[in-house]
Formats: sequence, C-alpha cells, structure tokens
Amino acid sequence: MTEPYSQDEPVRILASTAMATRLRRRAFLGGALAAAAGLVAACGDDSEGGSSTGASPDSSVGTGPLEGQLNIYNWAEYDSPDTLAAFTKEKGPKLEVSNYASNEEMIAKLVASKGTGGYDIVVPTGSFIPQMAENGLLEKLNHAALPNLANVDPQFLDQPWDKGNVYSVCKDWGTTGFCYDTTKITRELTSWADFLDAAQKEASGTTSLLDDPGEITGVYFWSHDVDWNTTDKAKLDEAEAFLVGTLAQHVKAFDSYPSGVMPQGQYTLVHAWNGDARQGILGTKEAGRWKWVFPSPHSNLWMDTWAIPVGAKNINAAYAWINNVLDPKVSLTELEYTGYNTGVKSIEATAKSQGVELTDLIFFTPDQVSAMVPGEVNEAHQQRVDIWNKMKAAAAK
Amino acid sequence: MTQAVEQPPAHPAPAAPQPAPATARRALRLPGFTLAAPAWLWLIGFFLAPVSLVLWYSFGEKPGLFGTHSNEVLSLDRYGEALEADYLPTFVNTLRIAVLGTLICLVIAVPFAYWLAVKVDPRWRGVVLGLVMVPYWTNFLVRPLGWPVILSPEGWVSGLLQDVGLRDEPLAVLYTRGAVQLGVVYNYLALMILPIYVAFDRIDPALREASRDLGANRWRTFTRVSLPLAAPGVAAGLVLVFIPLMGDYVTATVLGGAKGTMAGQLVASQFQTAQNWALGSAMAVVLIVFIGVTVAFFAIAWTSVRAVVRARTRLVVPERAA
Repeated sequence: MTEPYSQDEPVRILASTAMATRLRRRAFLGGALAAAAGLVAACGDDSEGGSSTGASPDSSVGTGPLEGQLNIYNWAEYDSPDTLAAFTKEKGPKLEVSNYASNEEMIAKLVASKGTGGYDIVVPTGSFIPQMAENGLLEKLNHAALPNLANVDPQFLDQPWDKGNVYSVCKDWGTTGFCYDTTKITRELTSWADFLDAAQKEASGTTSLLDDPGEITGVYFWSHDVDWNTTDKAKLDEAEAFLVGTLAQHVKAFDSYPSGVMPQGQYTLVHAWNGDARQGILGTKEAGRWKWVFPSPHSNLWMDTWAIPVGAKNINAAYAWINNVLDPKVSLTELEYTGYNTGVKSIEATAKSQGVELTDLIFFTPDQVSAMVPGEVNEAHQQRVDIWNKMKAAAAK
Repeated sequence: MTQAVEQPPAHPAPAAPQPAPATARRALRLPGFTLAAPAWLWLIGFFLAPVSLVLWYSFGEKPGLFGTHSNEVLSLDRYGEALEADYLPTFVNTLRIAVLGTLICLVIAVPFAYWLAVKVDPRWRGVVLGLVMVPYWTNFLVRPLGWPVILSPEGWVSGLLQDVGLRDEPLAVLYTRGAVQLGVVYNYLALMILPIYVAFDRIDPALREASRDLGANRWRTFTRVSLPLAAPGVAAGLVLVFIPLMGDYVTATVLGGAKGTMAGQLVASQFQTAQNWALGSAMAVVLIVFIGVTVAFFAIAWTSVRAVVRARTRLVVPERAA
C-alpha cells in the first residue's frame, strides 16, 4: 500500500524450533520468559505516529509512510516467523513481539500503563472487546486503511460483540475440545461428561486443563448442558463445588499450551484449543496415539481479533500489519503455522488443496459450528476467576 | 602457625586524640547519618514505600471487572479470604517446601563447603568454587527449564532407570511437589555453600591442629571447633536460602504442575490474571508474616539451643590466685 521503507533486516529467531515449543508452553511465566520466547530481536527507535482519540477516525489515519518499529502484544507463538520476517523485509518496520497468556493479563497491562505501554497491536478475544472499548483501551479502526478487509468471509465480520468491526478484525477463530492418549484410555470418549469421568478415573493425576477461568468453568457447564455464560449464582456455586472440591485433586497441570508436553507422556487427557491440540498431535511420533474430540453437547466458539490499543505510537505500521495478514497468501502461511482458521474467504479450500495436515482440527462442519457457543464477559466473570484460583490452590493440597 | 586468634593491638591507642585540621573538623560537624543517607533513601524508596503500599492495598477491595484495587472501604476481609480453607494449604505447603529445601541445602552444603575450604588443594579451590558458581551465571529462569527435559517420563533418566531395572514404569516425578523440591534445592544450593565456605575458610588451621594436639579426634574437632566457628556462615546461608525460596514462583511454575503450587504463584495470579490487587496484597503480606514468624522461631530456637549447649559444655578454668 505504500512504498516499502527498504531496510533489509530480517527478523532474527533466537530459539530453535524445539526450544521454541518448549518455551512457548511456559510463556505464561510472564514478561521475562515471553521476552526469551519472543522471536524478534529488534531495538529500533520508537517512531512518532498519529494517535487518534476515541472519536471516529479520519480516513487518512493509518495510511502514512511506514517506518520505525511495530510493537505487537500477542498470544504466544501466534504468528508464523515467516510472516514476521517477510513484513519487515517488504514493508520496512522492525517488529518487537511480546506475549501474554490470558486476556486478563493483557488488559491489566493496558490499564496499568494508561496508554503508555508502547504496544501498537493487541489481540484480544472478541468477548472482551465491549468492556475494553468502554474503558477506552481501543482505537476505532479506519476501514479505509484496511482494503484487505474485503478478503474476510462476511461470516466472521460484524460479530455481536463488535458490530461493524469498529474496533477489531478477526485474526483467528476456533474452539475448545480435548485429546486423549489412546494407549492409556482405551474406551471411546465423545462428550464433556466423558472427559470429566475419565479425568477422575483412568486419567486421574495425568489430566491437564487450560489455564483459563472461562474454559475451566465451561467444561463443567457444557458437561451439564448449562449455558456456560450463566450468571445464575446457584449454578456457579455448583460448578465451584465440583471443580474445587472434586476435580482439582485429579489435575496434573494447568497448561494453556499442552502441545509441547503431549509427545512426552506426562498427560493422558488434555483440555486444549484446537490449533494447539493439532500441534501436539503432529509433534507426537506415534501416529494415532492421541485422539482429538470435539465434545458434545456444546463447546466454545472463540474469536481472537486484531485491535489497536489507545496510545499506539506507530499507527501506520499497525494498519499495514493488519492489512498484510488479511492477504490470502499471508493468511495461509499463518494458518499452516498456528493451525487456526483465519476467517479469510475460501481459505479452507486453499488449505486442503495445499495438503495442510489434520484439517479436521482446523475446519469444522456446520453441525459442529452450530454446537459452538461464544463466550461472554459478564458479571459472573469475577466468580469464574475466583473458582479458577481456588481450584489451582485446591489442586496443590 | 600464622597468627594468634586475638592479637593485642600492636600499638596502644593514643590517650588523647590529635587536634584535627580545620577542614576535617568542619566535615565532622555534619550529623552522623548524613553518610548513610543514600542507603536510607534507597531503603525508603525501594523497600519501605512499596511494602507500605502493598500493606495499604491489602485493606482495600477489588472494585469491579476493570479495577484492580480500591481503598474506599477499608476492611480485613481480604485477609479472611487469603487465609480461608482454599488458600491456606498453599501457604503451609510453601512453608514445608521451603523448610525442607533449606535443610537439604544445609545437609549438602556443610560437608561440601568443609571439603572445599579444608581438603581441596588451594590451587584447585578457585576452579571448584568456579564450578559451583557457573550455573549461577545462567539466567534464573533458564536453569529450571533444563529439568523438564531430564525428568520427563520419556527423558533419559527415566530410560536409564528402566534399562537398569530400577523402575518398571516411566518416571513420574515431573509436575509433582517432589520436582519442585528438587528444583529449589538445585536453584538455591550455591547460596548456602558460599557463606559456609567463607566461614570455614576463615578458620585458622592452627585451631584444628590445637584441637587434635589436645586429643580430640577428627569428628570431635569438626563438631566442637570448626562447626561452631562457622555458625555465622551457616546462619547466613539459612537466611539467604530460606527467604527467597519462600517467595519463589519460577521454579514451581516450571516444575510444579498443579500439585506443586507455591504461594508466590497465588500472589502473581491475583496481580496478573485475577487483577485483584487487594487480595494479592493481602496474600503477599501473609507470606511476609509466614517468613518473619518462621525466621524468628528458628532464631529463638537456635539461640536457646546454643545457650543450653554452652551452659552444659562450659569449661570453667579455676581461677589462679594472683
């Protein structure tokens, strides 16, 4: 979209692939490790760029010349190193990537830094967008600077939590399920109830759960066919009693990125996001050892989104980045790496024709999609966080 | 024999101080604490102020989803929450891991430090000391990351144990409290060895010789002469290991899984993920109190035991008539 500010400085990767996998799993240790796992070593100067207020953006916002450094604050291992390297090579801005492990952590940083955190791009999960916008954390997007928005499948635009894509654009969407080690669990598991049953029997002491309040309480609600966004105190208390009092003692680890451990044998039952589960299965030598289950009756439908935080310093590069990843070719590179559906038009057909492995963990049938329920951040959020904290303490008793 | 234990000063101090030059006298007129001011400012700015702030937050509450703390309503409720049945066991576990870890470090460090200070050829002492220090030059975060590779059920230790026939099934240590225990001993051992080594090293070899000349065997010399003289080093090592160990959260995060959660992780998750700075602060204060009480308990126990031992083993030299 603009003349590349030619600065042929490739993105340097500091860790081997094996190391990166191992580090990624532990990226939730926080900033220090995130920095170690961060793929990019760049120390350019901060460039000045227009930072608009909460008002509707001018159509010229984000279309200026590209220079300086782009600071991306993202989930761990969520962009292909090829994409990062190509962006700097073709468009100019150097990249600095740092990671977070939960939306809460990212929001905490944005709130605490009050717009001085220096991040140009963040990747919140869609359900957090309304509160983030309400609290003045996100810039309104200038669609004129994002011509590639036309490449996104309309199905993934205009979501209930961000009508008209005022603040966000789909990055990836996916669901939550589980994998089990068929050499240790010989019966067939198909539902969340099966998951909880196995966790207390064959997989007691070898079960890993996602380190996320909504996902953990979700397992209980889905297994009991209760709306997982419920704000009913009685239901939440029931979930708390079961999760803290019963399930906690069977848990081996709270691990948001279990794929690195799956090949090693500490876990036999793994609660995972589909892309990470796919990486774990692909990383395990023995084919067929892990079986992926999209559990009945319901599961999560989450969408992570590109957004620009208030106080972004390099807004031109931020727009260029978002526009770049919405390019169908770049999008396919991203999909192959992360194993998540990017929501770009006809990416499923392209991926399948390109021979991408395990596409059943990336693309879901209409029946499966209709069984997925998006999460909400509502007044029960605090109790879900409390349950998760108490459960972690109870697991260590 | 190089020097006596307590050498009388070679030159007795002059009876009256020399009159100081005018400039020196003016400098001396400044109040005594002036020179210590930078240290005080440091202590106030980087220790007292933040700790007071944590204490202040701990009386507050979390106001809502996007707030982290509010002190509009002051209460002790956060302490109630921190000490309720859900979280208290984690503090107790942390204490157990820390006390046990400190004791294991002590048991390993005392013979090692003694060997290093007394037995190792002085030419090689620097090399061995360097070997103790080398792991310490590696990032604190990177060191425990090596252990999952070693302890993994499909790692080389597990394979070796099975090949030798010591175990029938893969090793199941990783992500347990045992792994955390191992990890903290590994991480903090050097902090125990160094002060004890310095203490042993400073003991005049003549004292050991004298002890043996007077008929004590090696063991008696060690327990009655060397070890008591190294006591300050042992105390320093205990404190240096125990206090940071209580607050450790990196080791437990990397090696602990769900079973090895330590209090530091509780505090961190309240600040980072739950965004409940009030409860996180209360937990931090509880942790500080746990540390303080434990250190005080052992300090008192140590002093009383020492007093008793001294009273029972005191050698009364009969006074000679003048």
